[in-house]
Amino acid sequence: MLARMMALMVLLAVQGCAIIQPVEAWQKGTLALPEMTFDDDPLERGYKEHTYTSKEASSGGSSIGGGGCGCN
Amino acid sequence: MAVIKQNAKLPDLGATLLGAAMALPCIMLSAQAETAPEKGTLSFKYLNYKERQQVTGNSGQSVAWTDSQSGASAYDDRVRVKATATSVLLPLNGQWSLSGTLVTDSISGASPAYHTQSLSKLQDFRRAVDTSLTRYLPNGKLALGLSHSGENDYTSRAVSLLATQASEDKNTTWTAGVAIQRDVINPANQIVANEKKRGSDWLLGVTQVVSMNDVVQLNVGHYSGRGYFSDPYKIYDERPTDREHQTLQARWNHHVSAFNGTSRLAYRFYTDTWGIRSHTLDAEWVQRLGSEWRVAPQLRLYSQNAARFYVEVDPRIAPFPPSPSPNALHFSEDQRLSAFGAVTMGLKVTRQLSVDTAVDVKLEQYGQKAAWKFTGVGSQGLAPFYARSIQVGITHSF
Repeated sequence: MLARMMALMVLLAVQGCAIIQPVEAWQKGTLALPEMTFDDDPLERGYKEHTYTSKEASSGGSSIGGGGCGCN
Repeated sequence: MAVIKQNAKLPDLGATLLGAAMALPCIMLSAQAETAPEKGTLSFKYLNYKERQQVTGNSGQSVAWTDSQSGASAYDDRVRVKATATSVLLPLNGQWSLSGTLVTDSISGASPAYHTQSLSKLQDFRRAVDTSLTRYLPNGKLALGLSHSGENDYTSRAVSLLATQASEDKNTTWTAGVAIQRDVINPANQIVANEKKRGSDWLLGVTQVVSMNDVVQLNVGHYSGRGYFSDPYKIYDERPTDREHQTLQARWNHHVSAFNGTSRLAYRFYTDTWGIRSHTLDAEWVQRLGSEWRVAPQLRLYSQNAARFYVEVDPRIAPFPPSPSPNALHFSEDQRLSAFGAVTMGLKVTRQLSVDTAVDVKLEQYGQKAAWKFTGVGSQGLAPFYARSIQVGITHSF
């Protein structure tokens, strides 16, 4: 499973790079908006991830090092 | 921590540590902000969180009866959390930054001893500190994170290391992170003492700028842990002493210039060695209104199947807990290991007060039901479960 996931990731990255037109630095004004980033509110993310960890069986996905949860 | 003993039972560890779970040190994958920050940032966020479950009848089935006078359904209150999180980011010079976050959680309310039955009162307090030192490189960064979380019955320490490397045009960013955790559990009921849980996880990610208005990210994660995974406050709870899980997450942010809005979509697949698989879909629309306001409705859909050792409610003896099979090595009657679906609806409003200061408010409503599982039938006999939360935050750059 893990190997397949990683292979998929590499494939998408390589394929993606091959077909995507490069975006130049001066064209990245929109990409710099907070809502276009993936971590615009770390404190909200902290509350969210760990609240769900305490109510559901799943955890992880986009961050590491989240120790300390006794939420079995 | 001061746990109030009532009904000769103690609350379940997970719930008493709900807040304990919050805002622990996580290093995040991000394609942006690879350069050292020019300004410092101070952020504060307050959370008020409250759970409740529908009242159950003797059969264990939820009873959707309504109060004849008020017309309202009947609910039992569960956990309530009031948390604060304070974070500071300090640029040290052009190549280094230091960040720290302090979280406090005050937890009260009640939690079930098995399934959604036998609610027991609880009270708890936790304090956690998370620090991170980041070195910025010409096309990447290296971040070292340290954390500590403490309360009476649970102590956790974690170390993490994250590296990112961007392409020359900065359109592609590769990220790799590793972390280890060491937890020590000393439950107040002394069923066990000085139990340990050790875990490590790693994460690989790639973020790709697809166009001037699109950025996508793919992350693969793996966790492996060994030690005490049982819940000492639950009845009939004996879990495996190891657990591994894998996650695959895909995210896509797309800006629509015509509406001055942005869609944020995410999907996560999760699978673990306890037999649990889950799917999580997140959707958000961030609408800009003028230069000061952002309004963002959010929807989250979640579905999981049950752990292979989850013991279902037995309607013949409910509301009493069913005994696990005599030959069973592992068993649990924890609602969180059952099969269910969940829906979250949220609304976040952000106002930019000045170039350097923004305030935000977020409201959320969460529901969890067997019938909301994406496919098949969820675990029967559990009370539908709800939570609502309010967050108020402020961020200031200096």
